[in-house]
Amino acid sequence: MQPDERYGRRWLRATSAVFLKDWHAELRTRYAINALGMFVVTTISIILFSLGGEPASPEVLAGMLWVVLFFAAMSGMSRTFVMEEERGTAMTLQLQAPASAVYFGKLLFNLVLGAGLTLLTVVLYAVLIEGFVIRSYGVFIGVVTLGSIGLAAASTIIAAIIARANTKGTLYPVLSFPILLPLLMTVINATRLASEGTSWADAGGEFQILISYIVVVVTTSYLLFEYIWKD
Amino acid sequence: MEFLAEHQLYIVMIIVLGIWLGLYVYLFRLDGRISKLEKESRHES
Amino acid sequence: MILKGALGVLLTLVIIAAFALPITPQPQSWLEFPLIPGLEEKARIIFFHVPTAWLSVMAFLTSMVFGIRYLRKRDMLDDIRSSSAAGLGLLFCILATATGAVWAKFNWGSFWNWDPRETSIFVLLLIYGAYFSLRSAIEVEEKRATLSSVYSIIAAVTVPFFVFIMPRIMTGLHPGAKGDPDGAGPVIEFKMSPNMRVVFFASLIAFTLLFVWMFTLRVRAARLESHLQAKG
Repeated sequence: MQPDERYGRRWLRATSAVFLKDWHAELRTRYAINALGMFVVTTISIILFSLGGEPASPEVLAGMLWVVLFFAAMSGMSRTFVMEEERGTAMTLQLQAPASAVYFGKLLFNLVLGAGLTLLTVVLYAVLIEGFVIRSYGVFIGVVTLGSIGLAAASTIIAAIIARANTKGTLYPVLSFPILLPLLMTVINATRLASEGTSWADAGGEFQILISYIVVVVTTSYLLFEYIWKD
Repeated sequence: MEFLAEHQLYIVMIIVLGIWLGLYVYLFRLDGRISKLEKESRHES
Repeated sequence: MILKGALGVLLTLVIIAAFALPITPQPQSWLEFPLIPGLEEKARIIFFHVPTAWLSVMAFLTSMVFGIRYLRKRDMLDDIRSSSAAGLGLLFCILATATGAVWAKFNWGSFWNWDPRETSIFVLLLIYGAYFSLRSAIEVEEKRATLSSVYSIIAAVTVPFFVFIMPRIMTGLHPGAKGDPDGAGPVIEFKMSPNMRVVFFASLIAFTLLFVWMFTLRVRAARLESHLQAKG
């Protein structure tokens, strides 16, 4: 038991070290807060201009919310891995931490980033867009939380792939979209249900799909990450 | 000819058959050529 | 050799049977297909469209299996197999989409209307597209093989979710889908008469053989290419 426990503790420390390293780098440069915050503001104002005061159906508005979140994730979540390659620190990290610790550290960072992005987007969206009414708050909060976790989970593993492929920008949404489509279709449908007013029981199927999606993506990512990370 | 003019579905069948036979002959010849190249590269090495 | 001859004869017979056998409301003999309301003569597409759709899925799974084998054994030949299967899968996927769209125009009134089956084949097309753009972006062979294998595995584990999502979001128009008024279940089971089923499965076998043949040809050609490159 003893060595296992010690390994577990070392693994936890490595994971949190990877996370804290990115966290401090973020606090130093404030890239995500500035650039991604502005990204969200810009996209929402484009939506506002294109709506031009016309009322839009809840279906369209639910879809738009996730369009903003999808592209915000696509512009922000590849950074953790691309940064390592750009700075040339990937090699050092490979030697110093086990692959799974790197994966979960980065995932944790993207989860926090995703939570921040989602919070900002949802608040701005609710304040600025008039037609966006939520009738079942509990369901909506649940959907948004699970949705942003799923978004971060799938984006993290694709980010690892594209950082290795040395193609930063264009390929990321191309690779992520088919993977994220099941998630996006579910959350858009669930957001529409929440804005029309629904009970937990009616949205239960959506939650089952979201939770199993997250579990499946995180497990396969964990199993495959080593192949991507070590050459 | 009159038979074909009346049953136009058979025209479609003949076209599809033509495409399939063309594809088949092409694949067959490709197979032969690849076999030949394989033999040559085995002799060389 | 025998298999190639058999394939030639089989698919020729399938094409003749699929077009030449008449469709009548009351089939009298073994050589007549029953009339399916709403489909009529358009029912003949099933002998060609469904096998291509089936192959585009099978090719994807083949590509994934060889991808997994590559990750385990690190044999470049497995990567050649994996990408060859994906290439053929893309070809069959395009064929299935095109034939389906033409059929949809005359049965449903428009080439594309985001029916669940249309959405799922669209996702498959997107995955193939993403797979090949990933491959073309990487120059180092080993890296390309590893990353594309990993990507095809991730795609393969997320795609099955559509099975649960589709019925919640939309009702289907596709024959055999839930929204089809003449009963649920795949067409294959419910509406095909025994003689249609014989032609259909013969076509499925013929198309699969065709796929295997084209697949081995591509693998052999790619192997020759890499031999030549190794020689310099």
